[in-house]
Amino acid sequence: MEKYKARLEEIKSILNQDSIDVNKLRKLSSFSCPNEGGLRSLIWKILLNYLPSDRKKWPELLKRRRNEYRDFVRDMIIRPGYKENENCELDHPLNSNPSSEWSSYFKDNEVLVQIDKDVRRLCPDLFFFQKPTEFPCEEIKNAADAERYQSLRKRVATTQLKADEVCKNRLGITNFKSDPKKFKEEQNEYSYLPIGQEAHWEIVERILFIYAKLNPGCSYVQGMNEVVGPIYFIFANDPDIEWRRHAEADCFFCFNNLMGLEGVRENFELVLDNTQLGIASNMKKLYDMVKANDVAVYNVLEKQSLKPEFFAFRWITLLLSQEFKLPEVISLWDVLFSDSKTLDFLIHVCCAMILIQRDQLLSGDFSSNIKTLQNYPNNVDIMHIVDKAKHLRKK
Amino acid sequence: MLVLVIGDFHIPYRSHGLPKRFKNLLVPGRIQHILSTGNLCNKETFDYLKTLANDVHVVRGDFDDNIEFPEQKIVTVGQFRIGLTHGHQIVPWGDKESLTMLQRQLDVDVLITGHTHQFEVFEEDNKFFINPGSATGAFSPLKHSSTPSFVLMDIQTSTITIYIYRIIDNDLKVEKMEYSKK
Repeated sequence: MEKYKARLEEIKSILNQDSIDVNKLRKLSSFSCPNEGGLRSLIWKILLNYLPSDRKKWPELLKRRRNEYRDFVRDMIIRPGYKENENCELDHPLNSNPSSEWSSYFKDNEVLVQIDKDVRRLCPDLFFFQKPTEFPCEEIKNAADAERYQSLRKRVATTQLKADEVCKNRLGITNFKSDPKKFKEEQNEYSYLPIGQEAHWEIVERILFIYAKLNPGCSYVQGMNEVVGPIYFIFANDPDIEWRRHAEADCFFCFNNLMGLEGVRENFELVLDNTQLGIASNMKKLYDMVKANDVAVYNVLEKQSLKPEFFAFRWITLLLSQEFKLPEVISLWDVLFSDSKTLDFLIHVCCAMILIQRDQLLSGDFSSNIKTLQNYPNNVDIMHIVDKAKHLRKK
Repeated sequence: MLVLVIGDFHIPYRSHGLPKRFKNLLVPGRIQHILSTGNLCNKETFDYLKTLANDVHVVRGDFDDNIEFPEQKIVTVGQFRIGLTHGHQIVPWGDKESLTMLQRQLDVDVLITGHTHQFEVFEEDNKFFINPGSATGAFSPLKHSSTPSFVLMDIQTSTITIYIYRIIDNDLKVEKMEYSKK
């Protein structure tokens, strides 16, 4: 406890300096950051290169970034037909011309459907993402703008219109008869919030959608939602209201930077799968590492033809966010972000995870081994894994 | 929300099918709802509409095989009440006064009728009347041939933007109109 307090004081003193010593901060936070007073949210912003080390530059930079994000939202969430149109030819919803606003709108919808499906079930064991946010997007909150900006969830929702049949009986009395079977109230599974409110998952949806629009090469790949989720969770739970207010914009840029870190985005890109940069080479690196450290385990994996694709694919692309409970993921990410070579360290962590299950793997058969690796046992302390990974790296 | 308003196909009795240009325009995945004024007349045409959108509402025309279709339907989209009927019951056919009478009876903001095979849109007393015409350009008892046409409504909170698609002299013509409820 004493040690923890001392570390906390040290981190605070680093953060309070005008020019933050990032290297020192990295070193300190590599034992997981404290969460007091929103420190973690601040540290992540620094570690992910969103905030520069010079504190004086912060206000200006934050303002610029947030305005930039707002412009993205305004540019991309807008409904077709509201942008200033230069060419006088009429654009219509059935236009198949690729330059038409409507046709790109429908193209985006294809990506959006996928995002929508995935973010709705983001961290299902947490109520947080279903909760309404304090700061819904201004454009959607204002009823005046509602015509121009449509919430993304509604854009792809499939609905049935409420229809009544009009029938006259023999006495000449007219009745409306609605078919209850056909029309079901929007299902309560994800109970919808009233107009002007947004759930946290809708914000994550918007972040991912804008990211997909800005990175057409990579677009959206399933799993990205799991990477944004924890970051957004931390930022949106900052005790300082000002940070919370802009959690969306900050999260977007941090996610962007995280994907920009060496090798992280490449894991998601299909075209790079089998190249030097892609996921396949990372998985090979992992197996080589296992082989170098523990031949017996490697032989078992080889013999049972337990391909790394079966489990390590998910481990590496999603930065292990699916293997542990959220609090554990967060403290693991503290360590990952504080490392200057995130991906390299990640592979060490994966390797440590395999080696920790050594006894299990050596005695088990294919089906029990795959179970161990796909549902990683939760009795292992995350810090133990990290220590082991650090140890492996030193060797 | 995009709602397609289309009707009076008369397939196979008066026309062999939709014009090719319309078929190219109507692709699945764009439209969410279809309101059809009827006279499809066969099941294949209904199935075709089902491929375009999940939610299809049809009222019965005087030549429809399917007796299950209701005569009149009222569909609610946001704050708009939309009445839908084929229109052969309204005499004189396509008459303004008779249409407004039906609109008052059903208490709707938008009344959609067909039957005359003549595209028509007008606003009366801040109520809106749409006749999408015949999608195949089939003949009618009063007219030798008609212009193939249908209507697409983009329904927002308080306004409806209407896109009119017509084939005139083998050329696709698209027009745009707006209606807002006061």
